Amino acid sequence: MIIKKQGVKLMIPAIMAACAVFICALFLNYRQDLLLIESQIIPEQSVYFEAMKTTSVVVCAVAGGCLLITTAIMLIFYVKHYIDTHKKQLGILKALGYSRVKIAANFWIFGVSVLIGTSVGLCGAFCFMPWFYDIQNKDKLLPEVTLGFHAELLVFLVILPTVFFMALGIVYAIFKLKMPVLMLIKENFRSKARRTGHINNDGLFLENLKKTTLKSRKSLIFFLMFASFCYGAMTQMSLSMNDLASPVMGGMMLFIGLLLGFVTLFLAVTTVVDSNTQTIAMMKVFGYSQTDCKHAILDGYRPLSYIGFGIGTVYQYALLRIMVDVVFADMENVPTYEFDFAAMFTSLVSFVIIYEIFMVAYSAKIKKITVKEIMLRE
Amino acid sequence: MIKAKEITKSYGREQVLKGINLQINDGDFAVILGASGSGKSTLLNAISGLERPDGGSIFYDNSDISGLSDDELTKFRKNNVGFIFQQYYLLPNMTVSQNVRMGADLAQNSEYQSIIEAVGLGGKLNSYPSELSGGEQQRVSIARALAKQPRVLFLDEPTGALDEETGRQVLDYIIKLWNDKQFTIVMVTHNANIAETAKTVIRMKSGKIAEIYTNDTQKNSYEIGW
Ligand SMILES: Nc1ncnc2c1ncn2[C@@H]1O[C@H](COP(=O)(O)OP(=O)(O)OP(=O)(O)O)[C@@H](O)[C@H]1O
Ligand SMILES: [Mg+2]
Repeated sequence: MIIKKQGVKLMIPAIMAACAVFICALFLNYRQDLLLIESQIIPEQSVYFEAMKTTSVVVCAVAGGCLLITTAIMLIFYVKHYIDTHKKQLGILKALGYSRVKIAANFWIFGVSVLIGTSVGLCGAFCFMPWFYDIQNKDKLLPEVTLGFHAELLVFLVILPTVFFMALGIVYAIFKLKMPVLMLIKENFRSKARRTGHINNDGLFLENLKKTTLKSRKSLIFFLMFASFCYGAMTQMSLSMNDLASPVMGGMMLFIGLLLGFVTLFLAVTTVVDSNTQTIAMMKVFGYSQTDCKHAILDGYRPLSYIGFGIGTVYQYALLRIMVDVVFADMENVPTYEFDFAAMFTSLVSFVIIYEIFMVAYSAKIKKITVKEIMLRE
Repeated sequence: MIKAKEITKSYGREQVLKGINLQINDGDFAVILGASGSGKSTLLNAISGLERPDGGSIFYDNSDISGLSDDELTKFRKNNVGFIFQQYYLLPNMTVSQNVRMGADLAQNSEYQSIIEAVGLGGKLNSYPSELSGGEQQRVSIARALAKQPRVLFLDEPTGALDEETGRQVLDYIIKLWNDKQFTIVMVTHNANIAETAKTVIRMKSGKIAEIYTNDTQKNSYEIGW
């Protein structure tokens, strides 16, 4: 009864979960199968064998782990945001006399989206594996690696996350429902803690609005910075990794970077606009221009996104340095690695273009908001 | 002077405004009275430049606003009108003072503090909307609209969400401010008693104007049997 029209938004974490599980399953399964042939490895092969094992883990940790953690964090925030914004309905249901557990039980649905996502990812990985095993060993430097199924992957990548998110949604809802009914129903209830900050009544309205918009949702700052971090790190890494790893890996990095960047940016900006609909509508009623609305609501995030991109750039450089200097240290013929300015330039330019296109798109969305919309919502 | 000519507006197949003609003089206190669903809010939104009507024209003095683009309408609202709604729509993360500045900044009005005092909230400058009662919140929204120094103030059921006594107080503030400043007020209500506080009453019935009359004497909010 509570969850409707959430399909699309739940799809996004599901897609991300699918990608994360896909990458992790691919490399972890490969590693498990590698371990099975360890006994057949002759000394000449051992350096390469070790390198294969380490790269599997590194790629899995860097790409897959990054995705897994983001998906998890995103879902946690998503569940929290969803329940927080539906406090009022929860309060009404509670006031009507539904038991807490009964209301909260509705939130098992978050687990379903994880289940679907992770299952698709795992199946996808197994479909892709035969081909993947071939390219990993196309120079026949190792004995034949046979593809096996490892049940622990199913447990760790599918079942546990599903159960975790199912429980998370329900537990958080129960926790929220502990609040007195009135507090749930009263919108925007403000706890004492939040108003300790300095109140500036002197500043111009638009400047104040820009600041409070940023401050009122700190998690969004994190997400926007994270989006640009991922985009910056992953695209540059894939562009400068060409000499270091197979094109498949580079391609995967690029794909993950783009996916994470886009999805996070999309979710974050959508939330910014959605949670400020009433403010925007009232500003329009009063006669604030489109530019003013956009400036106050969206522009505060721009510098933060660029900082995120900067951190991503440094991060990927550090990571590749470590990989080259530590992981591949014992191997011969490893190409030297230097900071890739061309890659950074390409990545930055595309980032700026994409970011600004997003802002134009959301500016159009802001343009469509009318006061009628919020009046009918009551 | 606001003049509406043959205004029509439909939602889907349903015609909500069926050719409205009316005139509101400068400095008038006009009330649009009618049953729920008769099209009062729709009419108010049309003559205030919030929504464009399907047909007809709306003149402010001699300029027609019905043909303006969205941006031009926004500019028109900025320079001419103020709004107060049944739901106060204050900005939740901003203090009383910051909320009122939303209106004040548009008119470069630095005297907004005196308006907050005029509605009796001088002691609550730093409170957030969630810390105020309904009546206080509505008074903030009145201050916010007045700080903009509008030519015309539009109110859609301003006391609709308040209990009788608080509603009375809010209405009293509105009447008092109107007496002091003599701007034009257009207020929507379904309550015939509230209409007795007005100078001009425009009674609507199913999308049409049933009658327009002038009250000989304007009652104050305590004389009306609400
Ligand atoms: N955006 C909309 N979409 C569809 N129908 C609408 C819309 N807005 C208003 N209506 C319809 O138009 C009619 C008149 O609405 P309006 O809000 O003007 O009535 P009202 O006189 O203000 O009523 P109330 O006193 O209940 O506020 C109603 O039947 C309503 O259902
Ligand atoms: Mg109405």
